Amino acid sequence: MRRFVSLLVSVGVVILALILSMGAIAATGGPPVEALHALWDGAFGGLAQFGGTLTRSLPTYLAALGWIVAFSARRINVGLEGQILVGGVGAALVGLHFEGMHALLHLGLGVTVGAAFGAAYAGIAAWLWARRQVNELLTTLLLTFVAIRLVEWLVRGPLQESGGVLAQTDRVHGSARWPVIMAQGSLSLDVLLIPLLAVCVYFLIHRTTFGYRLRLAGANPTAAVHAGVSTVRVGVLALLVSGALAGLGGVSRILGSESSRMTDWFSADHGFEGIVVALLARNGPLAAIPAALLFGALRQGGGLMEARVGVSSSLVQVTQGVVILLVALIEFVHRRRERERVDKTYTGESGAVKHRAGLDSNDEQPEQSPRVGHGGI
Amino acid sequence: MGVFDAAWLYATIRVSTPLVFGSMGEVVAQRAGVINIGLEGMMLTGALSAFIATWLTGSLFLGVISGAAAGALLACIMAGLSIEAKADQIVVGVGILILAIGFTTFIDQELFAVRERVFLDRMAPVPIPGFFAIPFLGPLLFNHIPLVYLAYGLVPVVWFVMFRTSLGISIRACGETPQAADTAGVSVRGVRWGATVFAGMMAGVGGAFLSVAQLGLFVENMSAGRGFLALAAVFFGKWNPLLIVLGCLLFGAANALQLRLQPEPFVPFEVWLVLGVAALLAFVAVHVVRRQAPSALVTLGVVGVAAGAFTLAIIGPTWDLASQLWLALPYVLALVVLGGVVGRSHMPSMLGVPYHRGGER
Repeated sequence: MRRFVSLLVSVGVVILALILSMGAIAATGGPPVEALHALWDGAFGGLAQFGGTLTRSLPTYLAALGWIVAFSARRINVGLEGQILVGGVGAALVGLHFEGMHALLHLGLGVTVGAAFGAAYAGIAAWLWARRQVNELLTTLLLTFVAIRLVEWLVRGPLQESGGVLAQTDRVHGSARWPVIMAQGSLSLDVLLIPLLAVCVYFLIHRTTFGYRLRLAGANPTAAVHAGVSTVRVGVLALLVSGALAGLGGVSRILGSESSRMTDWFSADHGFEGIVVALLARNGPLAAIPAALLFGALRQGGGLMEARVGVSSSLVQVTQGVVILLVALIEFVHRRRERERVDKTYTGESGAVKHRAGLDSNDEQPEQSPRVGHGGI
Repeated sequence: MGVFDAAWLYATIRVSTPLVFGSMGEVVAQRAGVINIGLEGMMLTGALSAFIATWLTGSLFLGVISGAAAGALLACIMAGLSIEAKADQIVVGVGILILAIGFTTFIDQELFAVRERVFLDRMAPVPIPGFFAIPFLGPLLFNHIPLVYLAYGLVPVVWFVMFRTSLGISIRACGETPQAADTAGVSVRGVRWGATVFAGMMAGVGGAFLSVAQLGLFVENMSAGRGFLALAAVFFGKWNPLLIVLGCLLFGAANALQLRLQPEPFVPFEVWLVLGVAALLAFVAVHVVRRQAPSALVTLGVVGVAAGAFTLAIIGPTWDLASQLWLALPYVLALVVLGGVVGRSHMPSMLGVPYHRGGER
């Protein structure tokens, strides 16, 4: 029942955000209904459009999983965008070299290197946090800006295409590409990562010892320390896994994209979008699937909306921002409700005092002093 | 000395200004217990708002006011959600960031993309009579646009208010032990609201500096991470305005160096020399301050960097480092200094933690 309510709330948030965005279109003199129609046609109008929606959902979803893993240990990885970029660089390096390698090996190597690059990049922030007590929030953001410049330099410098005209690399070798499922919409086999990793991450967080340690370190660092769990180790691992997931998103942007090249800023905000998706899904790996599809659809449909009605597709970002703020607001109402419910349980006539570990629901954030545990905020 | 000349120093002071505005607001908010990740977004919105206001009215003054107002408006959303609704401050900050990026791009495209790019008159430097006549220092320090004076004038004021007035004690108490502040009759809500809105205003003015004062135009995403550098400066400066401004100048110097190097055909030897000396000095300074022996790995790294830099200075290779790498320099520098300097001890204890009054849960 509670799950159902929170689902309804999430849907309500999205509808409200869409209505507000339509209002913004109307306010700037655009046709809101036609815009919505174009958005729908662009995202779900046909098989090709739906393929595009799936393709665009994938990096966002992987970034969302990255956020969810880190956040279950209460580590804030806002630099998913940078990890996508660096993961993509790893994939491009592999894809541009090793000509004539067996396709399975080549792709496997590209995926592995991409994920490793993403993890290593998050690892810098993890090291600074664990050893130097620097807030990972700040370092992951700063690292994102470094990654953006790094890619800008690579596509104009050492990795520029042979012609040397545009700021992009050559196409990666065919053997490194994810096999194409559907030519229209450039849907590749990497889309299978969505169900696969959804299950893996869910299992990892909720059904393994490591996942339990993650959640314990996140929910109550003091208890974790008393239970013999090293919060530092867990936090570092959470950030590494988070970076690897984002890195996989970067791999898909290169090895699973139609152009198969690395360009400026090929992460295209998928990393930040992943955060929105994770928050909308209340940090549930399974619930993040429909949320990611929604944002993929907005992104895919935004192009047609811009072309047909002339409304800038940056409006989609406005919608996303509104979604986050509404989720934050509703979280508040939800938590207050929850508290009232719990108070009733404690003082209720049933007489039974329920013990709440605060571990089973992700939206429950126990109050804690940042002095407790390592790293604080 | 080569590229490290008066023009570089002048540029350092100028390009550090938005960081100073941003971090002076941010330090007040963080001392009061509110971490404002949306700083970058407030800066961007301030830049656009100031540009539109100046474009419509022709008045730079109204532009700056409008930038401050826009920043304050976003800060009100931030305050409402994080103080009243007690939402996660980081989440709200990220929301404001994404909202601001999308919103400014949308408005910019709706208003300006169809016609030609609008250029406005920039703010003109106002030499301060008397002081301007001082040799070397006069043209360097006293020949800036008014916003630069305002930014650096703000630093001692913020320091004084923070550490020498009862208002400052209230602000710091709200970030350290809000319960105690509440018991003593300080309105934690009020102080946090005020601090957050002040931070938004300052970020907005910093944005206005970028668009109307410095460039005379608005470019999508023009704040380009300066908000995060301002945040880094606050952490670097250990929540003390006088140290924070040093951090801003440091990041500004890296940025100014990149501007200064653009016309040079290759990286001159003095850059390598300074890099080596700076690495060694910073290394020594950090360990003197910390009173602890450096780890072997770090020593090896620093000595390696310094040795490499000195070798490059002597050989003097005709390398032309790509501008993109120089643009990354302030961020790399911020990461390095954060890793080298900051400990957790000075962070306001209740930073990012919503305050619940007794019984109100």
